[in-house]
Amino acid sequence: MPFFLLLLLLLTGAWQCFAQPAFSFDDAQIFLKTYCAACHQGKGAIAGFNLAQFSTPESFHERGPKWNSILNRVRNNEMPPRGKPAPPMAQREAFTVWALASLKTEACAGGIVPGPAPVRRLNRTEYSSTIRDLLNLHVDVGAGLPADGAGGEGFDNAAETLFLSPIHAEKYLDAAKQALDFAAKDPRSRAKFLTAKPGNGVTPPQAARKILEEFVPRAFRRPVDESDLLVYLGLFQSAQKSGKSFDDSILFAIRGVLVSPQFLFRVEAVNPGSEPRLLDDYALATRLSYFLWGSTPDSLLLALAEAGKLHEPEILNGQVARMLRNTKSFDFVQSFVEQWLGTRALGQTIRPDAKLFPEYSGDEELQGDIRYQPVLFFREILSNDLSLLNLLDSKFTITTKKLQKLYGLNVKPSSGDNTSAPQRIELPEDSHRGGLLGMSAVLAVSSHPQRTSPVLRGKWMLDAILGTPPPPPPPNVPPLEEPKGDAPKTVRELLDRHRADPVCASCHSRIDPMGFALENFDALGRWRTADNGKPVDAKGELTDGTTFDGPDQLKAVLLQKKGLFVRNLTNKMLGYALGRGLTLKDSCVVDSILAEVERNNYSAHSLINSVVMSMPFRYQTGAVPVAPWTRTKADRKL
Amino acid sequence: MRNFRLSRRTLLRGAGVGLGLPWLEAMAPLKAAAPVKAPVRMAMLYMANGINTSMWTPEGKGRDFVLSPTLAPLQDLKNEIQVVSNLWNAGADTGDGHYVKESSILTCTTISKTLGVDINMHGISMDQLAAQRTGDRTPLPSLELGIEPESTGVDGNVGYTRVYGCHIAWSSPTTPLAREINPRSVYDRLFRAASPQGNSLKEDTVLLDRVLGQSKKLRSQVGAGDRARIDEYLEIVRSLEGRLERASDGTKSSWKARASIDSVAKPTEAPRDHAEHVRLMLDMIALAFQTDTTRISTFMFGNAVSGQNFRFLEGVTDTHHEVSHHTKDPEKLKQYHLINRWHIEQYAYLLRKLQSMKEGEGTVLDNSMILFGSALSDGNSHNPHKLPLVLAGRGGGRIAAGQHLVYQEDTAVANLYVSMLDAFGTPVERFADSTGPLPGVLA
Repeated sequence: MPFFLLLLLLLTGAWQCFAQPAFSFDDAQIFLKTYCAACHQGKGAIAGFNLAQFSTPESFHERGPKWNSILNRVRNNEMPPRGKPAPPMAQREAFTVWALASLKTEACAGGIVPGPAPVRRLNRTEYSSTIRDLLNLHVDVGAGLPADGAGGEGFDNAAETLFLSPIHAEKYLDAAKQALDFAAKDPRSRAKFLTAKPGNGVTPPQAARKILEEFVPRAFRRPVDESDLLVYLGLFQSAQKSGKSFDDSILFAIRGVLVSPQFLFRVEAVNPGSEPRLLDDYALATRLSYFLWGSTPDSLLLALAEAGKLHEPEILNGQVARMLRNTKSFDFVQSFVEQWLGTRALGQTIRPDAKLFPEYSGDEELQGDIRYQPVLFFREILSNDLSLLNLLDSKFTITTKKLQKLYGLNVKPSSGDNTSAPQRIELPEDSHRGGLLGMSAVLAVSSHPQRTSPVLRGKWMLDAILGTPPPPPPPNVPPLEEPKGDAPKTVRELLDRHRADPVCASCHSRIDPMGFALENFDALGRWRTADNGKPVDAKGELTDGTTFDGPDQLKAVLLQKKGLFVRNLTNKMLGYALGRGLTLKDSCVVDSILAEVERNNYSAHSLINSVVMSMPFRYQTGAVPVAPWTRTKADRKL
Repeated sequence: MRNFRLSRRTLLRGAGVGLGLPWLEAMAPLKAAAPVKAPVRMAMLYMANGINTSMWTPEGKGRDFVLSPTLAPLQDLKNEIQVVSNLWNAGADTGDGHYVKESSILTCTTISKTLGVDINMHGISMDQLAAQRTGDRTPLPSLELGIEPESTGVDGNVGYTRVYGCHIAWSSPTTPLAREINPRSVYDRLFRAASPQGNSLKEDTVLLDRVLGQSKKLRSQVGAGDRARIDEYLEIVRSLEGRLERASDGTKSSWKARASIDSVAKPTEAPRDHAEHVRLMLDMIALAFQTDTTRISTFMFGNAVSGQNFRFLEGVTDTHHEVSHHTKDPEKLKQYHLINRWHIEQYAYLLRKLQSMKEGEGTVLDNSMILFGSALSDGNSHNPHKLPLVLAGRGGGRIAAGQHLVYQEDTAVANLYVSMLDAFGTPVERFADSTGPLPGVLA
């Protein structure tokens, strides 16, 4: 049984924003007796699920996975089955929140643990960047590899979804060949990896050995032994024997390095003990550089690893700061932000309609300006160690002149010129453009190509910003009954009707209001006060009674819920850094990172630093982790 | 091109900047014995988001039937098709709207609900079952194609990784096969697979051999759980090595294709629009089948929950998924039908193309089974009953084309696959929840 629902709810503190009656163990027992006992009691209990086994607090320890599945079935409206008496939504939620909290208490009882770190291959972007840095070659040789899907916290670096298809073997062979064909013709590139040549008393095998002694450890991100070197020297020699030049022979050997599993996979030495231990410094260098650069460790990281110093906290913190300053951190920010917000799909599967929005479709520069705005904005926050709450609302943004025109902003950047390159600008009062929610990329990716949708935007907000995605619609929802009298005319009228139906209302009363508050932005993110000739109605009311009108008030409400937002961002960041889905156990470490970030006034660096300093990032799990049911399938394999 | 000066223009170049194209050499003639019989080919064209059910089902049954409005574009091919009604996939009859149904259309199983870590189809897809038995007869065992890039992220709403929604071909219960979406790179791949160059072939084989050695060494160094990943790599390297070896030994191929790949122009890398993109990918299937570069292909018009914009169709104002949730609105139902019919037109395009390719006494279409289908009937209610399915081609004479076959409601779609696998030459007793072959499909 996967733990994602637990995690969604628990790590995110889901639904805390909605009024909840508190539940006790006794309340839960009454709940189970009322709604489950008819089928799940006594000898004939259906599916072997007998309430008697869940009647004590100890059952959380003894039957964790079973509790988990009860929770999921109740949460997803799968139980009680259709046609049987069902609890009201508020009761369901109260039960779910209580059960999660109980499971978490149980999971955290043993303290923070490192969690799994399965072997994974480089994903497509990591592959490209790694080749770039190894060969000093500025060509995207990974472009031909198949795109990677996402798992875990929603990122394509998650170990669990980095699959291999037969096509990968072909493409790795091709890509390595293409890369080396380019590199061999580029003097800068040659200087980077062809570090010796025959002549002046140096024999070709000696030169080859020198090149490989330098290149293979860089490619494998760790020292190599003689037997590894001999494999590639053997390739060199076999090419020499068949009459190839020195150049062609060494390139052939290096091509062998680039299709080796030691290069393509990130592998850490196994921890043979039963207790968690610090990672070795080479593995730490690798984790760090794929987190903050999406690429291979540079010579300084490898030198610190060789000296055995990288794990020392002050050195590690210094390296994090250095790495964030390096331009390579742009890859991290782009990869993280675009997947977190879903803006990677913009211009691909989600594209504003060409006929309705010719100003977008006809202008590639504007398309780039829109897509990169959230990335550059996040980077600005990170580079200057600003507060993460700027993501919710801010007094500045990053734009180009073109984007400003779309936004109707007549301001000059504080420094420089933003005609061609984006620059920071300070926002005037009432610009409505502060934070992520004022950005076209976000507003377009949560719209239909031809119009806005409060439902899509509301769902996007709950998922991406608050980390509390709504539960799935119940199976086979019947279509709404045709209304008597006039058919609804506006989207709001239609959705009001939607929310009048109790089945729909249980979720849409959460989804739609925040979407309505953004109705002042059209599907391209332009400001509007009228839609289809009618004035925009941007009022919304949350289920807890909080009301707002328009995006500015919505942002104020979100700032009051900053705890949810920062928790969600922390989950995403930790999941990205670890390259895996979080487990129930990880909710404990998320708590501690969150406390650290709050203590530091939501500073961006404190988030990155606390993730890097966290136990899951710096340690590896022992051979026998604690409570078996809190582990994922991947754990169990370790 | 990755460039770190963050000016707009450098950023815009982004990924996908063309690299040098592999040099192309003339196709080497295959040294093959005279063919006895043309091979059977099999493809699945998958449409997301279901159908407007009121416009789909033909009137009448057996050989006497009238095509429905949605199927009308198949009129001239009526004798080449079977419309197969009332099948379903029982394994997909669970709560979730899309992923459960769409990912399992060819596996007929119930998938594990997960954001990634527990990914499991609990079965392999029928095309891969066939490919695993016959893949060594062609340069590529199978060809997986799509249009939309891999969907971003996980679907926190329903609790599934979107990986499920992007794959219908599964070579193991935990291995979705990567798809190609760029027509040019499909072409290049077909070309290289079909015409390996002697020298580089030898080099590649040497490299792969060393890689195998290194993989075995690495395997012994990792924990038990991680061995599975290394084994996957070993497996794909071995299979490529095997293919290269076969390629260097042309005598093993018993069938000599009529056409070679270089007789066809390279497709563009950047199709102008969705319609052109789809046509180019279908062209690649036709090319792969005609040249016998592979005999098995799956193609996804869109990923599950596809929000493809169909406003390019006269009369359509909304996106695919949006229209599929028509809430019985007559206007949306009309648009839903138009989108469905457009897909059928593309299907007909491929069928005509295969029909135009002569092969022996007949055509490539005569020797093919091209299945078109969706994993939902009514998209509005995510209904998995009465799946819309059309099978075209005569499967080398094994398929009794020209019929509307109507079965008892909720007959297993796996039964259709049992019949198809039989016609393909890879018969099975059972597949997933099948109860036997589907009577009437085979001639």
